[in-house]
Amino acid sequence: MADPLPASLHNVRRIDPVTASVIQGGLENIAVEMGHKLMRMSYSSIIRESEDFGAALIDPQGRQLCETPQSTPLQSGPIPGYVQGIQQIFAERGDSFEAGDVIIHNSAYHGASHGPDVAFCIPVFHERGLVGFSVTTAHHLDIGALSPGSCGIVDAMDAYAEGLQFKALKVYDRGALNGPLWQMLRDNIRASDLVVGDMEAQIAAARIGAERFVELIGSHGLDTVEAACDALMDHSERVMRMAIDALPDGVYRARTFIDGFLDDDDPSRGDLPIEVAVTVEGSDITVDFTGTAAQVPDRPINMPLKGTTDCAVWLTIRSILLDSAVHGHIPQNSGLTRPIEIVAPAGTLVNPVFPAPTIARFCTGNQAADTLMKALAQAVPRQVSAGVGNLHVVAFSGIRDETHWVHMEIHEGCYGGRYGKDGMDAVDTLYANTRNNPIEDVESHLPLRVHRYELRDDACPPGRWRGGIGSIREVEYLEDGGVSVEGEGHKYAPWGFAGGSDGRTAGLTFRRRDGASLDLPSKLPNMTARAGDRIVMTGPCGGGYGDPMARDPALVLEDVRDGLISAETARRDYGVAITGANTGAKTGAMAGAIAGGLAVDAAATADARQARRGGQAG
Amino acid sequence: MTDKEPVYRVGIDVGGTFTDLVFTDTDRNVTLIHKVPTTPADPSVGAIAGLRDLCARHDLDPEAIDYVFHGTTIATNAVLENDGAETGMITSRGYRDILHIGRHQRPENYSIMQDIPWQDRPLVRRRDRVAVRERLAPPHGEVLEPLDENAVREAARAFKARGIEAICVCFLFSYIDPRHEERAREIVLEEYPEAFVTASAAVAPQFREFERFTTAAMNAFIGPRVRNYVRNFAAGLEQADCRADLHIMGSNGGIATAATIAERPVLTLLSGPAAGVLGGQWAAAADAGGRLITFDVGGTSADIGIVVDGRVSEATARDTWIGGYPVLVPMLDIATIGAGGGSIAHVDRGGAYRVGPQSAGSRPGPAAYGLGGDRPTVTDANLVLGRLDPANFLGGEMTLDVDAARRVIRRLAEQVRLDEPEAAEGVVTILNSNMANAIRMQTVQKGLDPRGFSLVALGGAGPLHAAEVAAMLDIPRVVVPPHPGITSAAGLLTTDLKYDAVKTAFQTSDSVDAAKLNADFAWLENALTAQFAADGFERGRVGLVRAGDLRYVGQGYELRVAFPDGPIDEAALAGVWQAFERQHRTEYGHVFADSPVEIVNIRLTGAAVMPKIGPPPPLGAGELDAARLRTGSCSFRVGGGLAAFDTPYYRRDAIPAGRPFAGPAVVVQRDTTTVVPPGWTAAAESNRNLILSHGA
Repeated sequence: MADPLPASLHNVRRIDPVTASVIQGGLENIAVEMGHKLMRMSYSSIIRESEDFGAALIDPQGRQLCETPQSTPLQSGPIPGYVQGIQQIFAERGDSFEAGDVIIHNSAYHGASHGPDVAFCIPVFHERGLVGFSVTTAHHLDIGALSPGSCGIVDAMDAYAEGLQFKALKVYDRGALNGPLWQMLRDNIRASDLVVGDMEAQIAAARIGAERFVELIGSHGLDTVEAACDALMDHSERVMRMAIDALPDGVYRARTFIDGFLDDDDPSRGDLPIEVAVTVEGSDITVDFTGTAAQVPDRPINMPLKGTTDCAVWLTIRSILLDSAVHGHIPQNSGLTRPIEIVAPAGTLVNPVFPAPTIARFCTGNQAADTLMKALAQAVPRQVSAGVGNLHVVAFSGIRDETHWVHMEIHEGCYGGRYGKDGMDAVDTLYANTRNNPIEDVESHLPLRVHRYELRDDACPPGRWRGGIGSIREVEYLEDGGVSVEGEGHKYAPWGFAGGSDGRTAGLTFRRRDGASLDLPSKLPNMTARAGDRIVMTGPCGGGYGDPMARDPALVLEDVRDGLISAETARRDYGVAITGANTGAKTGAMAGAIAGGLAVDAAATADARQARRGGQAG
Repeated sequence: MTDKEPVYRVGIDVGGTFTDLVFTDTDRNVTLIHKVPTTPADPSVGAIAGLRDLCARHDLDPEAIDYVFHGTTIATNAVLENDGAETGMITSRGYRDILHIGRHQRPENYSIMQDIPWQDRPLVRRRDRVAVRERLAPPHGEVLEPLDENAVREAARAFKARGIEAICVCFLFSYIDPRHEERAREIVLEEYPEAFVTASAAVAPQFREFERFTTAAMNAFIGPRVRNYVRNFAAGLEQADCRADLHIMGSNGGIATAATIAERPVLTLLSGPAAGVLGGQWAAAADAGGRLITFDVGGTSADIGIVVDGRVSEATARDTWIGGYPVLVPMLDIATIGAGGGSIAHVDRGGAYRVGPQSAGSRPGPAAYGLGGDRPTVTDANLVLGRLDPANFLGGEMTLDVDAARRVIRRLAEQVRLDEPEAAEGVVTILNSNMANAIRMQTVQKGLDPRGFSLVALGGAGPLHAAEVAAMLDIPRVVVPPHPGITSAAGLLTTDLKYDAVKTAFQTSDSVDAAKLNADFAWLENALTAQFAADGFERGRVGLVRAGDLRYVGQGYELRVAFPDGPIDEAALAGVWQAFERQHRTEYGHVFADSPVEIVNIRLTGAAVMPKIGPPPPLGAGELDAARLRTGSCSFRVGGGLAAFDTPYYRRDAIPAGRPFAGPAVVVQRDTTTVVPPGWTAAAESNRNLILSHGA
């Protein structure tokens, strides 16, 4: 086999492998500490529980050296882009990095993932000068947009409507606090005590990172650390190239749709295609989004290329080709992304042009990741899941004692079936990996009551390996407040694969206190909720994988016993006859609990499956 | 019993390969040690056989033994091997799948094919989770919906009919008011008295439903197995004519009665490592002003514990996991990493040099064991470097095959393009660096400066690596106890009877209801006092220590802060808030000056003092030459370069007190090997510890 690696990876090594390994451990340890401290100090649940934050060290060339493992990939991944954006702005403005600076940055058109994900960047200096950047990012509760919270701002009509834009501003200038900037920030942000507290936590964590990086350089020497960083990035690049090289060369295409704004008067804002063509050539891979819908110029579901689209691509390729459950830990750094090229035509959903709004791009990005997986499924069918269920981000808010409360919750999706495994049920998906908030925490601190939180009834997408099952959550307002939502997947179900059925769509229902019920679209601008009103979130179910008639009847029986499907469903979807089931046995809260005595009728099952196959053949 | 009576006590620690026994007569200060093979099918069999053996060898009357203290991994193994009881659950209607959905987070960020422990290996399958009508609400436990007692009864009958022997009762907000859970438990026991029933608030009365329910489910899951084990063990003691009270080591670093553990086995999940930390603490108690890092390295993993001011650090409630499941029980804060003598060195696909976390274990083990192992391990590297004596391994019971070690290291050297000694030393350096990073996480990252600590080297491989790891962290002093390999068994004899009571009791600093706080502490005290009374200790013999888990209002992670005794008034609270702020600054390097503080949990720890193992008899004087075995070639890195040194090998049991010797040196003993690198000095102290010091 020809060596797949470019000549640059065969250079004479500048560092021995032992020292490289030791320095890698040192760098990862720094990132762990940054993430640990940020998460534990922070105030808002979106950071501390949902872990919607990132931390990384970046070299002076804007390359990522390490990232905290305790973050959501959509936060640490974009950090190199933030730094490159800051460098670009500094160059344009003639500004310079100085010891003691702390820089705030959130410009979605300069590397930021979107406005609420604010970075604090600390330039790190050693004897000879600038040696890198210590950076933390976090999703803030509020950034001064047109309605409370920082999600579900689905009616922001341009970048200015999304809240404050910080374009590489020094909040500390050579160690001196920039008072007016902080005051301006406080005056324009809701729940500002919490937001500023979280920002202080970010700065403290970034300072720790800077301090530790200097210590690391102190104990090994700058030349050695630089050589080790080069070796680390080369290593990661090499690992990724080998994985790409193992794929059959070719072009793999896929298309999926997002709802967009289905209820909009303007039909061009709904039913938007995302199109991917993956070209594998040796150890290079190109992901081309040509054919994807044009940007929605006045609705914020557009994704910045740098910060969202690129992360969605990196995350998906990495999770499939270098799956950590299969390959173990692989150091995260910019070397991993070198073999990956992204083509995203300007003016489309995946590469909007300023001032197109981007604040609600979260679900679009996850759909891009899913579409990319659908394309790669053709190349590596045993390493993917069938269609993944997308998410909903819900902002609950209100005013208590003259101050705003804002609570953001991500309602989970789930994965499709996988080769040899059913899909993961009710989890956060793809580039998001947050945590929900305990019901006991929510009800103890907010005027909300969670009436139900469990798996959907009789909603298993059939497949040889079934799709994951979504969840239902029902939340009541105990005081007047508001709700806004950015979600996806109300119209388009996750794709089935290799003969598996498509998954189930998601839904949102608003149930008024008086009993009136209202189906909501996946994008909901801030809406008033009165005490006693309820919102019911129904998560999607992932696609099935493989022919349901090939599912082991014993597994079908288990699903019936577990009350996930009824005996009727077992017969209809899988051709499996279950004996001993009560006629009229239902799924749901009590079903299955007294499920002794159920069994598969093997003969009837064989007949049913035979008949089904005969029917198909005919 | 009065303190004057002779007290015979036995510590029995069951490990994966060996069962260690330590006997002590606290009156005459006699300590005896014994080691027997572990019997994995029923570890109590080997343990009891070992006890009979020990008594026979030393002519001891088993009837005279007052206490048997036992460290066991039976509960841990049941979880890790997913080998527990079929478990049923009765939970609140509307929330049947809390155990399944968890916190909706995937364990791995970058993986499609991953497993989710609580979905792929559920402690309670969905068919066995019955949701019944009931609902309480915060903040005071208002009943929104009364308990549907008939549904509970029906569920209990169904579980009984199906032979499900363990049942957990898990209702929302039971930590505020356990009455629905308790009533449901009563009903289940009425219908099914022989069932093992756990109510969630009875094992972990703390908020966060997924974590509390999981803790209860795990308790039920392992309950019947642990209960049987404890019964067998007690019966075995009786058959051996031993009338001693059986006590079992808990993860909190205290011992509990067998009866308590049979009810709440989830308390023992970290029993083994906890005993190790205590053993290390006991051996080195007087060192560095009670600031110790215990460093217990075996074949596959390294356990790291921190002792500050004589107290072992405890993990916060959000950091306690076992087998991928969260458990809300008090545990010592012990960090475990996959690094040990059996760790395999390899070159990964991208060409990077790695050591571990995979381990060759004890079978086939390192190539040097000659049991078929053909992958290079840390032990092979140490042997090639001359740091292990092939003829003196496990007291000469096993001869190490130097040629086999050399062969696997040579192959590795070719892969990493280094010469053989460099490759071998690289294995050790990478492993040491991984272990040093783990120690950094437990110290530097929590605001503790390791330079003020002593490193206590434990386990078969701890003393081999301790000095070099200490050097990486600028720790000037390493303590090697007399028997580093049996420290866990000795640790069992150094602890107290200890129980914790915890309760979630939200209060904020700007509006404290002191009466409620005092009432909550009184409730904890009553609960603990009852527990000790059941064990035969009246209130006056129990020391109580208060603490709280605090955070700034809005934060999600708590810090442990001491609370004063006596009625809590404004002055007492002011002290608590200040202590919280200090702790926050220490741990995170930052404070939020104007933010109110929230009390989340309050805690009470009770300890009844037990007689302890005494100090070993003082080590005599003598000449160092008597301990000298031979001189060999041993490689060390000094000033950047790797060089071979003529290195003396000493017998540990012949080293006299007060005769320092300079490194390089290697000290061999039955249960471990100690390496003294160049630049270090070693000396045995009269308390039989070997002290390694650097740059003195």
